[in-house]
Amino acid sequence: MTFVKRYLSLAIIGTFTVIMAIMGFVGLPFSTVELLEKIAIAIILAVSLNMVVGFLGELSLGHAGFMCVGAYVGGKVAVLLSQSLGGTHIVTVILALVLGGSVAAGCGFIVGLPALRLRGDYLAIVTLAFGEIVKNIFENVQFFGGQTGLRSPQFIGKNRFIVFIIGFVLVLLTLFVIQNVVRSKHGRAITAIRDNEIAAKSMGINVTKYKLMGFVISAVFAGLAGALYSFTQSNIQAQTFDYNYSIEILVIVVLGGMTINGSIISAVLITFLNIFLQKNLGGSFAIAKDIIYAVVLILLVIYRNAPALKSFREKYNFQALWRKIFKRKHNPAKVKDDAARWDVVPTKIEMNEVLSTDVVIDKTGDNSADVGERGGNK
Amino acid sequence: MEFLNTFINGLSVGGVYAMIALGYTMVYGIAKMLNFAHGDIIMVGAYMIVLFLPINPIVAIIAAIVLCALLGIFIEKIAYKPLRGASPLAVLITAIGVSYLLQSLAQAIAGPTTYHPNPLEKLFPKFMGEPTYGIIKIGAFQIKLSTLITLICVALVMIGLTLFVKKTKIGRAMVAVSEDKGAAQLMGINVNNIIMITFAIGSSLAALASVLTTFESASVETTMGSLPGIKAFTAAVIGGIGSIPGAMIGGIILGLVECFAQAFPRIAPYTVAIEFSLLIIVLLVKPTGILGKKRREKV
Amino acid sequence: MKLRKILALVLVMALCFGMVAVLSSCGGEKNYAENNEKIKIGISGPLTGGAAKYGIAVENSAKLAVKEINAAGGLNGIMFEVEMLDDKHDANNISTNYASLYEGGMQVSLGTVTTKPGLEFKGYAQADNVFFLTPSATGDDIPEYSNGYQMCFADSDQGTVSAGVFKDEFQGKKIGVFFKADDDYSVGIKNNFVKALGNALGEVKMASFTEATKSSFTQQVSELKDCDVIFMPIYTEPAALFMQQGKGIIKADAIYYGCDGLDGIDAEFDVSTITQGISYLSHFNSGATEGAAKTYIDAYVKEYGESAPLNQFGAAAYDCVYAIVDAMKYAIENNGAEITVTISASDLCNILTAVFNDKNFVFEGITGAPGENGKSTIKWTDAEGNATNGHVNKTPVSYTVKGVTVK
Repeated sequence: MTFVKRYLSLAIIGTFTVIMAIMGFVGLPFSTVELLEKIAIAIILAVSLNMVVGFLGELSLGHAGFMCVGAYVGGKVAVLLSQSLGGTHIVTVILALVLGGSVAAGCGFIVGLPALRLRGDYLAIVTLAFGEIVKNIFENVQFFGGQTGLRSPQFIGKNRFIVFIIGFVLVLLTLFVIQNVVRSKHGRAITAIRDNEIAAKSMGINVTKYKLMGFVISAVFAGLAGALYSFTQSNIQAQTFDYNYSIEILVIVVLGGMTINGSIISAVLITFLNIFLQKNLGGSFAIAKDIIYAVVLILLVIYRNAPALKSFREKYNFQALWRKIFKRKHNPAKVKDDAARWDVVPTKIEMNEVLSTDVVIDKTGDNSADVGERGGNK
Repeated sequence: MEFLNTFINGLSVGGVYAMIALGYTMVYGIAKMLNFAHGDIIMVGAYMIVLFLPINPIVAIIAAIVLCALLGIFIEKIAYKPLRGASPLAVLITAIGVSYLLQSLAQAIAGPTTYHPNPLEKLFPKFMGEPTYGIIKIGAFQIKLSTLITLICVALVMIGLTLFVKKTKIGRAMVAVSEDKGAAQLMGINVNNIIMITFAIGSSLAALASVLTTFESASVETTMGSLPGIKAFTAAVIGGIGSIPGAMIGGIILGLVECFAQAFPRIAPYTVAIEFSLLIIVLLVKPTGILGKKRREKV
Repeated sequence: MKLRKILALVLVMALCFGMVAVLSSCGGEKNYAENNEKIKIGISGPLTGGAAKYGIAVENSAKLAVKEINAAGGLNGIMFEVEMLDDKHDANNISTNYASLYEGGMQVSLGTVTTKPGLEFKGYAQADNVFFLTPSATGDDIPEYSNGYQMCFADSDQGTVSAGVFKDEFQGKKIGVFFKADDDYSVGIKNNFVKALGNALGEVKMASFTEATKSSFTQQVSELKDCDVIFMPIYTEPAALFMQQGKGIIKADAIYYGCDGLDGIDAEFDVSTITQGISYLSHFNSGATEGAAKTYIDAYVKEYGESAPLNQFGAAAYDCVYAIVDAMKYAIENNGAEITVTISASDLCNILTAVFNDKNFVFEGITGAPGENGKSTIKWTDAEGNATNGHVNKTPVSYTVKGVTVK
């Protein structure tokens, strides 16, 4: 199991390489190329959101906002440059990605600032608000195309390999950077803040710096995903990046168990499921795909998280199946060296508020709520 | 005059937000979860009114409230209760799943048609028809009957909830559960029942909000609940989530901001940005919202 | 360090493969329709979510038209079929839908139902040279390329023609505009309307709403309460809500004037409860009581029942299917084209564009002002016989739902 976990990202790289090879020699149908692009975007978004949700432990509902910034800025840069350099010129691509990523990073910094003061659900609503503000501004600014959306350079059509290669390189870059950050001392500091901010502070960890760092890294890659998305579209529209999109990414991350590898697997599976349903349930059955998705989502979350199903889960799961097939012995000590195992601590969501009528209720148990609530985590 | 008009419009829009926010805040205070499906209960309530309005407007209103309360309990039992004690994020995702499910089931059952039911017109056909059209005029001052009812309802519900929470045994038990579930259980409170009652109350408040939106002749369609849901959540946070008067204050503030922003054609397209910026500013100044309580944190 | 080395190695390998991929490029066009048993018409539109009723009407009507055509023997024995996928009115879903339709053997398309996804769709259709005739994507840019055509009026036309009507009919009246600020249909018409109107009728009062503020129009109603004529380039649900909330506040003798989006307002909302007049400029009236439009409505209701959504989107889709089949007939009879059931999308596109740009090709349909035989004449060429770049040439009709008749 450790082996699989450690080399999962390499396995993905291998798969991609094989696909590239097939693509080069045979020529894949557009539907497959398009599916792979969507999966690549989903992986980048999920892994980068996991930086904030899984490792920093803050709930973010505005990830699509960063993507929106990246898509519009990257798209606009590409439009401006493609007039003189041509749309597929390497300089156009790199500048579009770099600028899309950096402006998104700036936004990540701005959103990170309230994170220093707010926590839990309050921060969640601020990130949601940020996403909606960004969307609202972009759809009204004429420089970015206003209502009809931004016409991005036409990567579209038969010459789609370029986009695919960019996507592939970006997925590698995302995995490389985020995995390394998480396993470095910065990553340990970030997870320490997640587990207990006050304790981390008293250990001398610079909470401000690391919180901002988490948000900025997450935003950069969302911005890159946005710029990549702008290459796949001929027309970028702000409505695409509403809070429902952020929620979709969050669903991927949570179902992936808030680990890097889990995020990758669930990004692939959920994107595939969505596209499979969309393709096969058209016409009068279109509504069935929404119902199926919702039911699968609810059942999966309950299966994975319900305390009552714990023994059931331990008996019937992929790991158990794996062990059964390969007759491996379960050795929990073996996995301890992997930083990704820190994810077993669930994300903190501070439940600070109690029901109040703003009339002072007897002060009994004033502080106990925190401990009681969060006690479940420990 | 223009100002006063906009102000009253703001109150009427904000009143509905406040009503939704009250339900949101109740559920949040007890169950400690962001109930993303809360907005969709409004949608279900509105469809119930469409369904039962041909029988009788009062029957329709009561049916909407009762059936939504039952739906709330049902959802809690099926989707949220198995996850009690699990990570809050898991509960959040389930709530999102429930919201998707309610929307798609509504379309599968009711079809894509948009309805415009108005129980108020059936209740007061004379006053809502020519020539008054449900508008109360006192000199130059005029206010719509629906606005008046909305404001009275919200105020009554707020006072009622406050008294309920302060004076009744169940209300006290709710406060206890919201403070500390474990301790409440030790004191002999049936936590499961209290949470169930909270969901019933929260959902019936959502249904009441749907009644109020149909008084304003809102379009009833499957997606009608999601945005008011988010706005009400915003309102609840502005007012201080968990606080009952805070929900009302937050809702009204949000409604006023929305109407004043729309009064200027130039900034009207940016209404959403302005509303959400207000939220961020309020939270930066007062991190727990206007009436929210600050709690100390221990290691 | 080991990981890094492997990564670098793989990266280099991947880049090499990438280069190969780019250099070898795609070898030859594939005809995905070679196994078709019927000519496949593909559509992408909203079947779920807020705009579902438009997509569902399009799907029903296209299937109805195909059923009628097949029952009448098809095109010299060639049968047709419709496949529609759901895009939720989101451009993000178009690449998937297009790929699935095209590789599933789509030979000709009705494009998308709404404009925003359509802006994405047209690029793919152009790359593969697939002919599309959209029933209801009204954006000016939709027929940008030579393979795209519209059955509906473009936004700019609707705005300009409406402004003409206003100049003729509403001299000396106070004009208000109520539009949706985050909808390109609404903004497009409004901009062209304001531009064409100029200062002819004095100052125009504006009020707008967005998707996020569509649940209550109390404020907008009071903004426009002094106007005599209110121009509403919006769809029925917000219009119905505005009219409801405007009762007793908007002037009692005011006129609501809309574009094709307002079609079906009387089905959605009890117009007898308001005193204001309602008129709209459109190509179809879903309350039609005579002519070919009535025949379509009867057939539709018979097939799908009273509760199925019936609107101008559906009528236009019905016309689209017939227009495409008529064009094929025309091509066979006059241009000697050969159309088989497995013809590739690209070949069919070349045949169809030639016909649609031909001034002698006149389609008789149910949308537009009906002639003496109850059918309207529809062309994609202007009066001089030049091709209109995909924009439709038919006569709009002013329908008065209620109140003073507006011509």
